[in-house]
Amino acid sequence: MAQLFTPAATTLFRVAIVLMGLGVVAAGAMAYVWARSGSTWNVGKPAPQPVPFRHDLHSGSLGIDCRYCHSTVERVADAGMPSAQTCMSCHSQVWVGASVLEPVRSSFDLGQPITWASVHRLPDYAYFHHAAHVTKGVACETCHGRVDQMTKTIKTQTMSMGWCLDCHRDPVPHLRPREAVFATGYEPHGQGLPEDVRMFYQEASRRLTSCNTCHR
Amino acid sequence: MSSEAQAVTNTVADVPLSRRFGWIWWVALLASGALVLLLGYTLISVAILGVGVWGVNIPFVWGFDLINYAWWIGIANGASLFAAILVLRRHDLRTAVNRFAEGVAFFAVICAGIFPIVHLGRPWLFYWVFPYPATFQVWPQFRSTLTWDFWAISTHAIVTSLLWYVGLIPDLATLRDRARTRAGKRLYGVFALGWRGSVRDWAYHQRAYRLVAILVLPLILIMQSTVAFEFAVTLVPDWHETRQPLHFVATGLAQGLSIVLLVAVLLRWGLRLGRYIDDEDVDLLGRLVLASALVSGYLYLDEIASALLAEPVPQEATFNRITGDYAGLYWTSIVYSILIPQLLWLKAARRSTVAGIFVGISIGVGVWFDRFSIIVGGLQTDYLPSVWRTYAPTLPETGLFLGTLGLFAALLLLFVRFLPVVSMFETRHDEHEEASS
Repeated sequence: MAQLFTPAATTLFRVAIVLMGLGVVAAGAMAYVWARSGSTWNVGKPAPQPVPFRHDLHSGSLGIDCRYCHSTVERVADAGMPSAQTCMSCHSQVWVGASVLEPVRSSFDLGQPITWASVHRLPDYAYFHHAAHVTKGVACETCHGRVDQMTKTIKTQTMSMGWCLDCHRDPVPHLRPREAVFATGYEPHGQGLPEDVRMFYQEASRRLTSCNTCHR
Repeated sequence: MSSEAQAVTNTVADVPLSRRFGWIWWVALLASGALVLLLGYTLISVAILGVGVWGVNIPFVWGFDLINYAWWIGIANGASLFAAILVLRRHDLRTAVNRFAEGVAFFAVICAGIFPIVHLGRPWLFYWVFPYPATFQVWPQFRSTLTWDFWAISTHAIVTSLLWYVGLIPDLATLRDRARTRAGKRLYGVFALGWRGSVRDWAYHQRAYRLVAILVLPLILIMQSTVAFEFAVTLVPDWHETRQPLHFVATGLAQGLSIVLLVAVLLRWGLRLGRYIDDEDVDLLGRLVLASALVSGYLYLDEIASALLAEPVPQEATFNRITGDYAGLYWTSIVYSILIPQLLWLKAARRSTVAGIFVGISIGVGVWFDRFSIIVGGLQTDYLPSVWRTYAPTLPETGLFLGTLGLFAALLLLFVRFLPVVSMFETRHDEHEEASS
């Protein structure tokens, strides 16, 4: 009877076992890198919008305050998107009849909100409150980046839970005095805070990292 | 090899190597295959629609999912504890029943593992309970029963599959040598890991087999206790008891042994293996089942005794379970897992196939009702009277349970078809010993 396996079979089998082990390690390493890469989290990827709105023009060149459009950011969870009336307060005078503004005008006429595509969407089980952050010294650009320089609005941070926790575990280096929250290009963070605020946040990190602070 | 030993190898090895297997096997496989399809359907429906398709609601956050998990884990634990003890004691019974006790344990672990995963609600994120460097930068909650489930089931699956596989290796080599086709030879050959049957091979094999068997002993007690702790660590009055692990270990052992008995008599009858699983073997197995049922009975008495000694709230909770809305579950469990097994005092019953099947199923049913009674009955009078209500499983839950029964049956059927169900090398070894003495 012919032999079932050649003498090399044992070596081959051992090599296969080692390769499988290495393969598992390599797959783990690849998953580790993939989960942390910006593209996995859509960082830097603009969403298709109904109107080619330019933050660099409105916020950067014209210097319109963030709160002019995102008017509820200091009061409630949702920063708020501008209604067509807000847009038309200027655009009834400038760029009247521009074809790119057609969705804004029809929204104004019909009373239907413009369907913007969300760029910073958190999962439904994460409760993010804009006012809680903005009124406690977390600046817009700390999370949203230099929006005043963006032609198309993009994410600059992963917005992963680990990224949230980076700050929640030690908030002080990321905070600003309240008057600088809406400033752009402000440096340095963590300076100019009153001493009692500093002390408070050093003690608060335990409470800020409780599960039910964000998952209620 | 003596002619007698040759005969053993023939009868047992012929089964996996023959091309035909009879229509009963096909009918059974089709029936269990249909149940596996039902399992797939219920799993997909719960994944898409969520756990709302189940009858669970506050306070009954655990329903069929945990009942059946605890039940299957009990079978797995009982069967593998039994198999491991036989290997370590080098008991004669091991030749007859070890292989399928190991198989039963392994397949039951697979069935058990399905429930905690689907009951997560977002089952595709089950790996979150594993401590890996996640981007959310938090470790799993090690005080959570979910992480305990993860470690319990994965450890259990690894150890029981090892016990089963290590025991199979010499017999896989026999199948390799006797396979009719070259592809069959090569397939069995790869899984036989180059077994040559040399003294060195045997020495290593014995060491490995016994090592895994020793691992099983503490593992089983820890695993079954883990399941029990999932109840005991909560503040539910009826569950918050230190006797809970003991109750689960003892009733689980009875249940595992009864399923081994059931499968043993079925195989003996179905594959005509009467010579290898002989009357003495079945008799001994019957005595073990009876003894374990008596221990379970003792623990039921202990439950009542400790309730009498307990403070008013847990006392009321326990008696509510025995006499309340769900009293039927409790008493069904007593009848099926304690009273009916008393049949086995009769020698005729221990040796009869029908009685073996009857008692085997009866204890399985009884322990299932016991788990149902603990999980649902224990929750019926929670601290908040406003949530006092009743629980009943919905069709998707029942389908899930039937589906795992089908999966278990299908795996067993494939096992008897393609692998030797009685350990050929152990049987040969026994016969050599007898011949030389």
